[in-house]
Order: sequence, then structure tokens, then C-alpha cells
Amino acid sequence: MARRTFKVMLLAGMLLLAASASLAEVVVVANARSGIDRLTRDEVVNIFLGRYRQLSSGLPAIPVDLPASDAGKASFYRLLVGKDLSDLNAYWARLVFSGRTAPPRQSNGEDDLLRFVAENPGAVGYLERSRVDSRVRIVFDFGS
Amino acid sequence: MANDNPTGRVGRAVQGAPRRSPTRKGTGSFRLRLACCLAAAVLGAPGAFAATDEGALPGLSLRGFGTLGLARTTTDQAEFVRDLSQPGGVQRDWSPKIDSILGVQANYLVGDQLEAVVQAVSRYRSDGSFRPEVSWAFLKYDPNPQFSWRVGRLGTEFYMLADSRLVGYSYLPIRPPGDYFGTLPFTYIDGADVAVTAPFAAGLVRGKLFAGVSRESAPVDNRQFDLNGSQMQGGHLDYQQGSWLWRLGYAQLRFEHELPPVADLRSVLLGPGLPASARAVADALATAGTVSRFHSAGMSYDRGPLQLQLMASRTTHEAGIYQDTNAGYLIAAYRVNEFTPYVGRSWARSKARSLPSSGVGELDALVAASQARTHTDQFTHFLGVRWDFRRDMALKAQVDFIRGAPSSVYPFQWVTPAYDGRMNVYSLSLDFVF
Repeated sequence: MARRTFKVMLLAGMLLLAASASLAEVVVVANARSGIDRLTRDEVVNIFLGRYRQLSSGLPAIPVDLPASDAGKASFYRLLVGKDLSDLNAYWARLVFSGRTAPPRQSNGEDDLLRFVAENPGAVGYLERSRVDSRVRIVFDFGS
Repeated sequence: MANDNPTGRVGRAVQGAPRRSPTRKGTGSFRLRLACCLAAAVLGAPGAFAATDEGALPGLSLRGFGTLGLARTTTDQAEFVRDLSQPGGVQRDWSPKIDSILGVQANYLVGDQLEAVVQAVSRYRSDGSFRPEVSWAFLKYDPNPQFSWRVGRLGTEFYMLADSRLVGYSYLPIRPPGDYFGTLPFTYIDGADVAVTAPFAAGLVRGKLFAGVSRESAPVDNRQFDLNGSQMQGGHLDYQQGSWLWRLGYAQLRFEHELPPVADLRSVLLGPGLPASARAVADALATAGTVSRFHSAGMSYDRGPLQLQLMASRTTHEAGIYQDTNAGYLIAAYRVNEFTPYVGRSWARSKARSLPSSGVGELDALVAASQARTHTDQFTHFLGVRWDFRRDMALKAQVDFIRGAPSSVYPFQWVTPAYDGRMNVYSLSLDFVF
């Protein structure tokens, strides 16, 4: 009985996960010459939260954000670390005003972000899967 | 450990009961009004903090932070301070004095690897004014993602989060827990530090070493304890994995100068005609040339809406005037939409060093009374809520229930003999960044 309950819960959890992934089709992209095929979730967290910004190919990672007005930014961080943008703001206030790491540079929108990632070998960004084109490579998605 | 900090008002017993200087109380208020006006001007033109707007000069960014605070307590028998760098604090009347802060910071990128940072802060200072001072001014050199070097005036990360104590927007409570951080009057050193980060196992290891000299001073009764020239060194080791962060830290401080009340006491103990044992006591009390050591361990868990923090410290002193102290705190918070309620407990307990007898009974009593001025034995339960009501701003409300022995006087200023060791502190704040 207990085992069956567990299985049902597991299945429900997986369905929920799948549902949340399909709602927000945000994917992480890197430059085609970055020398990497995939990033792990921990690596994405380290890059975007400024903990450790190096790709496994040795290139320094340069994260780039969507503007805060873009719903994609809020959805990316909610999926990645379960945090609201105001939580992230507080996090960055601590790092910036103690003179440590800078937040990701901010793009003006998805076009600007795509251009930046395409032009900088270490750049890492995120956007709607439907906006990805051949200039960049998908290195992480939340469905996987 | 944060607790027994080397700068407190240790020796006030030497001069008998402390008397507040009659001029002190009014001095801060004009400056405070000035700071508040500045803050109001800033609030009128909120920018986007996390956005790196690049204006006329590429690579230059200007940012700021601030707090408008109000606090009061339930007693007039002691003045509650944010930390012992403040010469006075709040009593039963609401006051903006202890928590209100305004800071501005300029970052200038000189190429990809070199950055210049200057930060100036106006807050209630050890001299009772709100005169702005340069809190950081350093060059940062990041040759690669593993190493980061800084040289200049730096924040001291004595304990986890200690280098962002002034940025209320960056943390949950109104102010860093007083039992843990309140006896630390150090904000910065002139020196250098190096940080190293590397992947290890499934997480990240980060180590940091720093060294420098203090330029600050701390109020002791109506005088100043000069920390200028005191050498500080330390380091810490972090391990971060997923939602967990673990930290071990160590720092030490070698006092350059004598604590003013100890200087007075020593001149008595070293007077003519006293036995050699009195000289031994005088030497055991001295601060100049002695080392205080700060050991700490911390843990935080941060996942989605849940945040937990636990820190503990032990401070030991070579100077007999100070008391070795154990301190710690625990905070738990859970975010619900724009509101983050939190609860916590902090504590600090110190023990006086037993010193040999001076051979003169009256002098022994004087020494014991001076040591009693650095005693702490209390805990605090606090609860509050942070409301992120709009971008880059938060409102907070908090109640602290401080429960201690009547002898627990060190974390406060201007304690009278009638203080019973108990007070509640009610606080409100508006924190912002821009």
C-alpha cells in the first residue's frame, strides 16, 4: 500500500515537473564556438549567480540576462533556483556592495541577447526555445 | 564570537558610573535630517539597481543603498545600539538614529580584468555625527575565474555576511543579530585580500585570505578607543554545494593602542609604593600589543522560498580586560509571495578571566568592576517580516525580545545599575538600492 502511494506520488511529481517545463520553454544557450555541448544545472547556477564563471572548455563564462521587464527572466530564475526577482536583487545587492562579483550584463531583449551570445565565445544566455537560431547552441533545458 | 569585541567601553568602572556627555545627544540630529533628505531625494528618482546602464563614460556604474529606520525599546536603563561603533542608542522613544544609512558606490571597469571601486557611507558614527566616510576604495584584479585580488580599503568579512552589514536591503532582518555582530565595530581595513575558487567534488570550494590595518576608532564612554594602526589578518574557507553553504573562518586583531580606561587603571596599578603583584595585574589587563582571535563556523541553506542560517563563534583575548565569548544565531524564513516572515534566536555568553590579586583589596575590586563592563550573558528571540512591496525596495518590521542577566551590559551603551537585563526592541525600516 505504502509502495503504491509512493509510486502515485512519484508519477504526480513527474507530471508536475513536465508541466512546468512545457509552460516555460526557457532554454540556456551558448556560443557555437564555446567548446561545450552541455552545462549541468549546477554550472548554470554558478555562472548566473556569479559563484564560478568558467566553462569546462576553459573559457571565462560571460552570463547575459534578459531585461527585468521580460517575463522570461523571472521564469528562468524561478525554474533555476526557485527565487523571485526581488530575492535575486537582494542577493546581488550583497555581492555588489561588498565589492565582489558583478551581476550578469543585461541585454535589451531577446534579439540583443542572441547577438551578444553569437559574438562572444564565452557568452551564456537564456531565452524562449522558439527564438533559438543557428548562431547559438542550446546547452541546457529544464526538461532534461 | 562576535561578541566581545575589543573596543567596547570596557573600563568605565574606573571613573565610576558613566555619565553621558551633555553635548552628545543633540549632535547627530541635524546630520540625520540631512541624511534623510538625501534619502528622500534618492527615493524620488528610483533607478534600476541590477541594470548596468552605461552612461557617458563606458565602464562606469553608480549605485547606492540606504535604510530609513525607526526603533525604540522598552527601557530607559540602557541604550540599545546597532553595534558598539555607535556612541549612544535608542531608549523608549522612537528614533531613526541607529539604523538609518545612506551609501553610494562607483564601479569603474578598466578593461576586462581590472576594476576600481569606491564606496562612501553616511551613518551614525563613533563621534556621534553622520559625516560621510569612505568605506571602501580598492582596485580589484581578476586575472581568471579562479583568482581575485583586491588592494586598498576593503570591507572586513570577519564573519559570514559581515562585509555587507550596512546594506539592509541585502538581508532579511532589520539589522544583523546584535548578539553576534553587535560588539564588532570594524567596518574596513587598509590592506589586501585574495580569493580562490575551484570546483571540488560536486560543489565549489572558495578560500580567502586578508591582511591590513584598521583606521577606525570606537567610542568608550565619552572618549575614543583608537584602533588606527591595529593589524588585522584572517581568512575563511567555504564549501558550497547546491542549496548548502558551509563556512569556517578565522580572524585576529593586534591592538596598537591602549583602551583609554585601561590606561587609567594601569596608571593607578603602576603607581609608586604598590607591590610587584599590582604591576603583574596591570600588564595582564593591557590591550596594546595583545591579540584577539575570532573563530567562526557557519551554515546556510537556501532553496526556493526557504532560508536557514546558523552561525557560531568563539572569541578569545590576550588582554585580561576583555572576556572570552561564545555567540551564535539561527534564522529561519519562508517566503510567501511578497512577504517573507522570519524568526530567529541569537545568544552570547562571556566569561571574565581570573587575574591574580594585585595585593590591594580596593584595587582588586576596581579591576573586577572594569572586567564586568565587558560582560555578556543574554539571548534574543526575534521575529519579523520583510515585504518586497516594489522593485528595489523593502519594508521590514521586527520585534526583538532580549533576555539576559542584569550583568549583561557589554552589548549596550550607557547602562545604569537599574538595568534588569531584559528589553524588547521594536523596529521598522525602509531599505532600498538604486
